[in-house]
Amino acid sequence: MRYMVLLRMDESAGAPPAELVGAMGDAMQQAFASGLMIDAGGLAPTAQSTEVRLRGGSVMITDGPYAEAKEVAGGYAILETRSHEEAVENARRMIAIHQQYWPGWEGAAEVRRISEPDEGPTAG
Amino acid sequence: MMRPASDGQDVPSVTIAEGTPAPETVITAVWRSESVRLIAALVRITRDLSLAEDLAQDALVAALEQWPGDGIPVTPGAWLLAVAKRRAVDQFRQSQTQRRRLTELGHRLKENDMPDLDAQVDYIEDDVLRLIFLTCHPVLSPESRAALTLRLVGGLTTEEIAAAFLVKSSTMGQRISRAKRTLVESGATVELPAGRERRERLDDVLAVIYLIFNEGYAATAGPDWIRPDLCSEALRLARTLAAMVPDDTEVHGLQALLELQASRTHARTGTSGEAILLDDQDRARWDHLLIRRGLAALSRAEELGQPAGVYTLQAAIAACHAKARTAKETDWQQIASLYDLLSQAARNPVVEVNRAVAYGRAYGPKAGLAILAPLADDSVLAGSHLLPSVRGDLLALAGRSAEAAAEFRRAAALTRNERERQVLLQRVERLQL
Repeated sequence: MRYMVLLRMDESAGAPPAELVGAMGDAMQQAFASGLMIDAGGLAPTAQSTEVRLRGGSVMITDGPYAEAKEVAGGYAILETRSHEEAVENARRMIAIHQQYWPGWEGAAEVRRISEPDEGPTAG
Repeated sequence: MMRPASDGQDVPSVTIAEGTPAPETVITAVWRSESVRLIAALVRITRDLSLAEDLAQDALVAALEQWPGDGIPVTPGAWLLAVAKRRAVDQFRQSQTQRRRLTELGHRLKENDMPDLDAQVDYIEDDVLRLIFLTCHPVLSPESRAALTLRLVGGLTTEEIAAAFLVKSSTMGQRISRAKRTLVESGATVELPAGRERRERLDDVLAVIYLIFNEGYAATAGPDWIRPDLCSEALRLARTLAAMVPDDTEVHGLQALLELQASRTHARTGTSGEAILLDDQDRARWDHLLIRRGLAALSRAEELGQPAGVYTLQAAIAACHAKARTAKETDWQQIASLYDLLSQAARNPVVEVNRAVAYGRAYGPKAGLAILAPLADDSVLAGSHLLPSVRGDLLALAGRSAEAAAEFRRAAALTRNERERQVLLQRVERLQL
């Protein structure tokens, strides 16, 4: 089973403490070494993002950042797991590391299963 | 939030909300992701595989008792290991009959064997490597090595391994117990082999991982959700090994080979489960993340500058296919020369047949048929559909349709796989006779 974990946080929290960066680096290295994590990356600030939206029959292109978005995805990881719980456990670990090394930080890890190619598109 | 951990230290822990996800499944998931390092460390400390497993199970029971109330510790692995060690010491203290074992254990629990838990992290990789050398020990049969490796290194349950190998749970349980007993009786030690022995033992480990992968690869006919995916398990083991033994070409070569082979999983069977040959696969269905990882692993193998062995060469061949955007773009001359090297590294009739295919594509059917000619009486290939089906393929390319049809019919009569038989008979129909 393949999962995408999206780490969402308030962008105004600023730069992460060095301890967090180090601890996350170690944890990710271990996750890669165990064969569980197969890809990961950080996302640039929404100041560099653009949204293309279709609404009411017209297409609107809006540059970020977006004042109304409280939490935005700051990074992602792709996991190959045996179960949903295993993916959740990895996400829990990432959040626990933030809890330990970034006092006051709040955010969420969203655990989403990636559809198998043969599953076809699913509605909502 | 801060919550007191069970040992009274004020460390932050994670509280799981009631309901979703059920704490027990989360705890089991935590334990499973820690179990290999836990068991590996306990094997080093106790030098006893069964005892190490029992202690790890005890630690799981303790976690199931304490974590729902206390939350999951920040470093669950260290917590589990601390509990298991405490149990080990308690057990030996309580047991008068095991006095002698206590003395033995006491000898082993030397200062440098009992580092503080932070320092423990430094030992972990070697512990896991020692464990995998033990579960792939040459005194065991290949099947037992695979089962024991999946059990102890992969962290699968006996039931899951039994389902994966399509045997009864009790049969697999006996196989695993027998394997553990064999290790004890043969005096197999927990060690990191050095020098030439290291090379041989590493080859044993690689062979076990390859066997597990092939068991999964051969058996993916039809969706079977209950059967654990042995290809994924083998891939994980290969990745773990590459992280632990980064200085060995073949270790990266095996990882590369498995990533590249797995990248074709979704393209190699059609909607009704029929096999689709490489040439006919929809390359958009290849898994490009796995291809990228496979090519990266192959680069790591090649950068080490050691002579390429059988896994690295096979990975290099798989990479030629992976890099071709269409079947027509395949660099068959490169593949043919890689098969020459593979044939020198491991002379084996199956490799020769594949070399003939590559030569047929690169230099024409005559070149391929010339490689097949000496294999006509090969005992390994006798009774297999491989030789006639490849000969049929080359004869068809050469325009010798009647001979090709005869070979395809012979191959169809020999194969035990119904879908393969259909593909071969379709080829007869497609020939212009």
